[in-house]
Amino acid sequence: MIRAKRYEDARAQAKSNPELAWWVFMRVSGLVLVFLVLGHIYMTLIQQADSASGAPQTIIDKLSQPVWKLYDWLILILAGLHGLNGARYSLEDYIPDKAKRFWAKILLYTVAGAIFIWGTVGLFTLQPHVVQAQALATP
Amino acid sequence: MLYKGKEGQWAFFLHRFSGLAILFYLLLHVFSISALAISDDFYSKIHELYGLAGFKIGLVFVAAGVMYHALNGLRIICMDLFGWGVRFQRELWYGTLFISGLASLLTLVLTIQRILAGE
Repeated sequence: MIRAKRYEDARAQAKSNPELAWWVFMRVSGLVLVFLVLGHIYMTLIQQADSASGAPQTIIDKLSQPVWKLYDWLILILAGLHGLNGARYSLEDYIPDKAKRFWAKILLYTVAGAIFIWGTVGLFTLQPHVVQAQALATP
Repeated sequence: MLYKGKEGQWAFFLHRFSGLAILFYLLLHVFSISALAISDDFYSKIHELYGLAGFKIGLVFVAAGVMYHALNGLRIICMDLFGWGVRFQRELWYGTLFISGLASLLTLVLTIQRILAGE
């Protein structure tokens, strides 16, 4: 992990080019995520109660629209990479043992990777439909 | 690890802690929303659990963590790019705490109102 505060210092400290690229990525993705994620929270948590925003029909209707598919997928990918890299910094700081650190990383990447693939497949295979239970409840 | 540092160290610790908590929530969130791709029933079973008051209050903590992480992240970017970002980093951190505390309080009030209203 690079602890430098300025790009010039970060470049001087970086042990490798990828490490410097990650340092830049954390700043750029973080800036974009501020708007994407706070917008997402405002639209889902603040504007309406989650019994409404979390209802299956609401989500199916929303995620059937390409613009929201893209919006949510951007959050998934950017937050996923940003979060995984942040977790990697933590593992490198707190697990001194090389072998243990290696397996902790393998476990982290496997679990997170599986869930991100699951999310991407779910998002792009979702078919617009009417939820059965709700359709019965409303005459 | 024992933290006895000044503001900067607390800012770092809270940034790391909120970041890890948000990653955990992101994984859980993506898993349960994508349950819709399997079946509506599967999704609804998970969602019944999330309807409990404890989970609704939990979302307030997630929102609070995101707000802090976002604002403190902007503070880090300011420190990287501008001289005044470093000079006023302590003031910026107190601003971060104040704004994210206020936003969290408002979210908490809103959530409690909704729970009491049975929404």
